Amino acid sequence: MAMTKSQRRRITSGVRYVVLSVWGLMAFFPIYWIISTSFKLDTQWFAWPPYYFPSPPTLANYMNVWFGAEEYAQTQYAISSQKPLISLYNSTVIAVTSTFLSVLFGSMIAYGVSRYRILSEARMFQLLMLRMIPPIVIVAPLSLYYTAIGLIDTRFGLILVYFLTTLPYAVWMTKSFIDEVPLEVEQAAEILGASRWRTVFEIVLPLIRSGLVATFLFILILTWSEYLLALIITKTQVTTLPIELSKYQGSTEGRVYGRQAALAVGITVPLMIVGLIIRKHLARGFSFGMVRR
Amino acid sequence: MTVAALSAAEAPLQASPRAVSRRRAIRRFKLSLLAPLIALFAFVLMPVLLLQLYFSVHQWTVYLGSWWDADYIGLDLFKEVLTDPRFGWAVVRSLAFATGSTIGCFVFGFLLAYLMHKPFRGQAIYYIIFILPMLTVPVVVAYTAEMMLYQSGPLNDVITRLSGIEFKPSWLSDPHLALMTVSLLEIWNWTPFSFIIMLAGLTAIPKEPIEAAEILGASKWRIFWEVQVPLLRPVILLALVLRFLEAMAEFPKTWSLFQGGPGSATETLPVYIFMTTWQYFEISKGAAMSYIVMLLMIVIVLFAIRLLRREKRSLDKMYEQTDSPKVEA
Amino acid sequence: MARIELCNLVKSFGAVHAVKDLSFTIEDGEFVVFVGPSGCGKTTTLRMIAGFEDPTSGEIRIDGRVVNDLEPRDRGLGMVFQSHALFPHKNVAQNIEFGLRMKNVPPEERVKRVREVAEMVRIGHLLEKMPSQCSGGESQRVALARTLVTNPSTFLLDEPLSSLDAKLRRELRAECDRLHQALKRTFIYVTHDQEEAMTLADRIVVMRLGEIVQIGSPMEIYSNPVNYFVADFFGSPSMNLVAGEIVQANGATRFRSESFDVALPDSFKAAKAGAVTLGIRPEHVGVTLGGGGDIELPVRLVEPLGKDTLLYFDAGVERAFVAVTEGLGMAEIKAGERIALSFDRRRIHLFDGDGLRIAGAR
Repeated sequence: MAMTKSQRRRITSGVRYVVLSVWGLMAFFPIYWIISTSFKLDTQWFAWPPYYFPSPPTLANYMNVWFGAEEYAQTQYAISSQKPLISLYNSTVIAVTSTFLSVLFGSMIAYGVSRYRILSEARMFQLLMLRMIPPIVIVAPLSLYYTAIGLIDTRFGLILVYFLTTLPYAVWMTKSFIDEVPLEVEQAAEILGASRWRTVFEIVLPLIRSGLVATFLFILILTWSEYLLALIITKTQVTTLPIELSKYQGSTEGRVYGRQAALAVGITVPLMIVGLIIRKHLARGFSFGMVRR
Repeated sequence: MTVAALSAAEAPLQASPRAVSRRRAIRRFKLSLLAPLIALFAFVLMPVLLLQLYFSVHQWTVYLGSWWDADYIGLDLFKEVLTDPRFGWAVVRSLAFATGSTIGCFVFGFLLAYLMHKPFRGQAIYYIIFILPMLTVPVVVAYTAEMMLYQSGPLNDVITRLSGIEFKPSWLSDPHLALMTVSLLEIWNWTPFSFIIMLAGLTAIPKEPIEAAEILGASKWRIFWEVQVPLLRPVILLALVLRFLEAMAEFPKTWSLFQGGPGSATETLPVYIFMTTWQYFEISKGAAMSYIVMLLMIVIVLFAIRLLRREKRSLDKMYEQTDSPKVEA
Repeated sequence: MARIELCNLVKSFGAVHAVKDLSFTIEDGEFVVFVGPSGCGKTTTLRMIAGFEDPTSGEIRIDGRVVNDLEPRDRGLGMVFQSHALFPHKNVAQNIEFGLRMKNVPPEERVKRVREVAEMVRIGHLLEKMPSQCSGGESQRVALARTLVTNPSTFLLDEPLSSLDAKLRRELRAECDRLHQALKRTFIYVTHDQEEAMTLADRIVVMRLGEIVQIGSPMEIYSNPVNYFVADFFGSPSMNLVAGEIVQANGATRFRSESFDVALPDSFKAAKAGAVTLGIRPEHVGVTLGGGGDIELPVRLVEPLGKDTLLYFDAGVERAFVAVTEGLGMAEIKAGERIALSFDRRRIHLFDGDGLRIAGAR
């Protein structure tokens, strides 16, 4: 039986909506759950049957976790309180600084690769793959090395490692933007007297401003959510937010869901906002030359 | 001002007498661009790798004072690790986990990308929702899972209500389910990554060959297999390779949720190494293990590089595009 | 002042030889045009002069000094690019003053000179605009201004007009000419358009496949092409080229081809028998009504253009034989009619089997 085009289209469309909605629900439900849990009173944290909607919603968790408001500490769950706000500060400083270094030097290297071939194509892939070696294999000696040179438990130490591990991404992403700047514009600058460095900073980089921003935000996501390196390198002086979360235990088996949820939401929601801002550029960041525009 | 006046106003530019050598200037420039990379390697990466090597052939524990007091024991530790059944199981678990979650991410990612690559109403909203899981910090995923997956928890409740059957597996405490639980979490967390890459690949395929095939009478299936898939090979490969490598290294979710348990059900390589080094404090053994895993990963990575480069080259040829012209070295 | 010598320049990209052993001297104040089909090496040569490509071997000398290893900015050159290459993120004034800034010219002086140059190329009203707001012609004028303001001794122009439409092309061509007359500086111009070469050049350098084919003034190139390629390349409509052979008949030398037979002027009396190609430009082929004429051919197509009428004839080959007549007098001729044509005997060219012109005896 031959279907008409519009019949077929309607069925396809229907199926599509169903499948996509199913996945959409599966994708969104956990996120909904943690957000709603963060607004729940402790009695509703592990009630059965579960409360799908906090009733009544409360800000107690947020007040307690983020602002240390003791009066909201519900008595049976004494918290070994760290200081989430300090961790927030640390996370921000570390993530922003390492990302900035990464993008700055990464774009310079990318320029060199694009125009002067300072790295062959093979090396570029090797650089990328370097990042793919599991960090676990170097964390132990790294921490010993850091201890020896006094970088352990410092913000700078973490910044340095994040810089190293995100540099490959920075190079790859910015290179794709630099490749799109016409060479003639640079040559015009050159013959008019601009030095190479000036050409890079006054001509090329301003022209890929939006690409640099996208790269910056992309790598920010990586450094913000990093766990293992932070776990090992930070001890008492410095904590980042992901570590803060893992340290957040209660006295009873660590199941202070509402509090943890409030902390978790604070960690992850900024990231989601950033990610949504640059969502158009995510594809470029992930493609590594395998997609032709 | 007339043109003639301009030409008379000043002597025109000549080839400058005190000028730098172009060759040397280029060399200097290239070197200074590479400098940060070289510095990082020399001062951070190399010492760390060398230290790792040192520890893997010297027996050292935290109780010994300085590093250099350790005895040289040659390849004993390597032998020990390679014959350790627990290590073998860790390898198996890691591979199973990586393979399973990669395939899952790929299948779902491709499906979603295919359904989304032609514009339709509401597409933007779906896109936003689909990328959210990837933007969730892995630790947060772990904690969310803990809040949702306990036996009398919301997930089981939802499925029970929707399907009518009593559905109460203990995701978090059943050793037979634990690894699968983490795999499913991994799939949830990272399908968006495959999704985005494949979507980019699908939308980059030019419309004309597909329309031509349609007019020539090809069915959707044939178009799919004979036109779209071949052009997607590089992208598919990239999605698979990158995901696999990252899955082999997965740590936060596995550790936060299970710490290797229950029993040793989720003792993947990263977890086992972590435990060896920071729970049993067998630094040297951990170093040897790390080296073996590193070598294993390098082999996989080199193989992956070869595949990816080949795909990239064929892609370049297909689209007859070259990279921007290079300055002469 | 600015004499540029190219000595045995070679440029190879791996197995591809873009420029093969090129030697040529550009005299101070000349307007030299390098012309040829794409891939002939003209742009590569220009870029070597500028310093963006290093010659594989050979020397480039400016005023006797070898500049191979000098940076482009130290060679005293100015360059206008095909795509105008304006800085998209700077406005027109900032684009123009860029070169002056690089030389640390103080701001007040910069402003003054930018305004002067802008007036000179008539873009004074655009100074605050961004390049994206300028049309193609305006952008190219800005590019000119940007180079002019730095006062180089030599101007390099890389197909600056090819991205413009015909009318703009004529305007800016005139502009280039005017600037050259006024400034009396050396202009090195690269193009694939033979019309530009003919109108602008003091001397034309015809290139093909990396080699120089002919050097000469436009007049020389047009009237005395050294071979088939040059003859065919210049002139619009192109020269008629018909394959055939030389025969001696009745003591006279004749050219015989598939579709016609014509007596050759005395200057070719000594020409050897054999395969040759006859060349004659359409404007030198006249229509003789009422009998007489050298040959007779059927009309294939008539194109009345207004100022001239083009008549296409069937010469037994795919390529039509063309004659140009002034005015619309011939516009009424129908296809298929046989028309008598006469050749301007002084303008007949012969090319031998290798494509080289056979020189007639004086």
